[in-house]
Amino acid sequence: MDTSNPAAFVNAELLHFYVGRRVRALTQVVRSDGGIVIGKSTDEKQLVVKGSPPPAPLTTFVEVFGIVNNDKSITPDIWTNFGDAVDMVSYNKLCQLAHGEYKHLFL
Amino acid sequence: MSVNLTANAIPAIIGGDVNAKPLVQVLDVADVALISNSNNSQPQQQQRYQLLLSDAVSSHHAILASQLNDRVRTARVQKGSVVQLLDYICTPLRNHKIIMVLNMETIIPDCEIIGNPKPYKDSDLPTVGTIANNTVENLARSNNNSNSAAQNASHNAQNFRPKIQPPYQPPPAYKGRGAILKNEAPARIIPIAALNPYQGRWAIKARVTAKGDLRRYNNARGDGKVFSFDLLDSDGGEIRVTCFNAVVDRFYNVIEVGKVYMISKGNLKPAQKNFNHLKNEWEIFLESTSTVELCPDEDDSIPKQKFSFRPISDIENVNNNSILDVIGVVTSVNPSVPILRKNGMETQRRILSLKDSSGRSVELTLWGEFCNKEGQKLQEMVDAGFFPILAVKAGKVNDFSGKSIGSISTTQLFINPDFPEAHCLRDWFDRVGKDSASLSISKDITPRGPTNEIRKTVSQIKDEGLGRSDKPDWITVRAAISFIKTDTFCYTACPLMIGDRQCNKKVTRSGNTRWQCDRCNQEFEECDYRYLLQAQILDQTGLTWVTAFQEAGEEIMEYSAKELCFLKYEQQDDEKFGEIIKSRLFNQFVFRLKIKEELYGDEQKVKITVVKADKLDYSSESRYMLDLISIPIFVGSNCCAVSASIDTMNHTY
Repeated sequence: MDTSNPAAFVNAELLHFYVGRRVRALTQVVRSDGGIVIGKSTDEKQLVVKGSPPPAPLTTFVEVFGIVNNDKSITPDIWTNFGDAVDMVSYNKLCQLAHGEYKHLFL
Repeated sequence: MSVNLTANAIPAIIGGDVNAKPLVQVLDVADVALISNSNNSQPQQQQRYQLLLSDAVSSHHAILASQLNDRVRTARVQKGSVVQLLDYICTPLRNHKIIMVLNMETIIPDCEIIGNPKPYKDSDLPTVGTIANNTVENLARSNNNSNSAAQNASHNAQNFRPKIQPPYQPPPAYKGRGAILKNEAPARIIPIAALNPYQGRWAIKARVTAKGDLRRYNNARGDGKVFSFDLLDSDGGEIRVTCFNAVVDRFYNVIEVGKVYMISKGNLKPAQKNFNHLKNEWEIFLESTSTVELCPDEDDSIPKQKFSFRPISDIENVNNNSILDVIGVVTSVNPSVPILRKNGMETQRRILSLKDSSGRSVELTLWGEFCNKEGQKLQEMVDAGFFPILAVKAGKVNDFSGKSIGSISTTQLFINPDFPEAHCLRDWFDRVGKDSASLSISKDITPRGPTNEIRKTVSQIKDEGLGRSDKPDWITVRAAISFIKTDTFCYTACPLMIGDRQCNKKVTRSGNTRWQCDRCNQEFEECDYRYLLQAQILDQTGLTWVTAFQEAGEEIMEYSAKELCFLKYEQQDDEKFGEIIKSRLFNQFVFRLKIKEELYGDEQKVKITVVKADKLDYSSESRYMLDLISIPIFVGSNCCAVSASIDTMNHTY
């Protein structure tokens, strides 16, 4: 397992801390057309993912691994279907803790 | 240390009062070897000690009875000793009085001379030797109870004329007219700590620290009423005073908290520890002959209250139903809620939280009047942004959910009191405390499903010795199944109904195809199969064996016992059976466990039974763990919770 470039748990608010770095974010898919997927992040803000999803259909909730662009969108690497029911609040809390007090546990 | 000698002790003794048992001080001890005579004609030299006794104002000589001689020799009685005279007489001899001490108790072996006592003039004080002589002779006579003519005269320097001494009679002052007999002599004030039922006349001077409510009751003897109040004296001694029926009428309106009274002629009985939490083995019961006098002058030597505050962190380890004092900052006050009590009466309840510098906070439950008076005041103060200091005297510890403190009838609350502890707390809070987090030793008020759910980890079962008390412990644990014993996972059960429940007793084979139940006394073809699962459960702290019966077994295995039994024994499909068992391993559940220590043979073993095995709801479990993380505890356990919650997050898809 390659741990050289760990992905940070982010929501929309935390994106600007990780520009140019690898992140992972959970998003609720709102619209998916062309090469862009618009989603709602775990803190209720808009999240733009600039890339085409894999051929398999996306479920309502998707977690994306990718690099953060300068315009705060994500260029995706890996798409993971999270199903149709996920607790966004817990994920959001996780993002906050992983970025704040417990950063040393994650990065 | 200031000691109060019995006021006017010396004049009282000289006046004939020999029942007061006063506290006096020994100013001097003199060794007087005397020549005495007894019934045989040989004069004998006896060692006698003469004491100079003082009541801080007057002093007088006294002779120590020879049986007490060793007290002087062993220095239990010496110059400066404060003693209590228990048995003593005062006999007149010509124109002076002789005090003879027959029994006494040393209270303080060595003490500075109290007061500035002056010799008490009963009349001319003759020289030491002669007094002693005469007294000894009188005593010898009275002890021997002889009526024979004295044989002493010749040995005496003074010409003491022999005369027939009648049997010992109290001095004339005593004869039915004395103050003692009329029960009018002023009683001596003694410390509360010295009170006991064998005490003669006593009086105490103390301040009322608590006054109980007037309670009416009804028992086999009819209706009655009772009230109690607590006293504190200048030596820090405390005692409860109780009045019944007619006595209540006399004193209920007289007694006021904070005032000082002199109380006398009460009965002393053992204290009832259930209600009386003062540190005294006795309790005073006032009767119709008791006296209670208000002392109007402010006696500053008597403190207003006696507290022994405990830090909130100590309360966690205190026994249920203990009574204690606590002081803390009120951080939140909830509104009054009407609560229906067991006896059908409705009362008010308020919950508030107290925080102190020990890093812990505790819930304080106020009942009844406290909600309306102090409770309302505290609510207003907290709403306005002030955080008042509250001192609680005599709160009761309750361990229903965590440890909390509740008010009882004798509880007293003091808002922003003027104590050094209060000032300390205020200081701490203003500087540090108001921003510091504290761990609540009471369960948090936020309800999480059933309110009596106590979450524990597997290692806590052993570490905290759960199940060892007489009642079983019920806890909730989130754990995974790590092993299932497959040799005997079920048993054959009786399917017959007894009332509305199934018998379920283990049945035995009868013949080849039938089953027999011993309880129902019947035979039948088909039996029921019920789980008797022995499994190991595992969490991040450890693992332990548990037993699951039918309902919990089905929740864990997701197959009925009958199906599995069939698979294993009838079809003998070991492969499929093994697959099913394996698939059950490492599934997480929220287990509700009943833990109880039981006797197996001659060994005490802790038995854990799974009462319910709920499938893990990742969402609510994550929220629970996030809540735990939010309370700043030690970073170590937080890391555990954080990594465990990441783990759970990954399960969500």
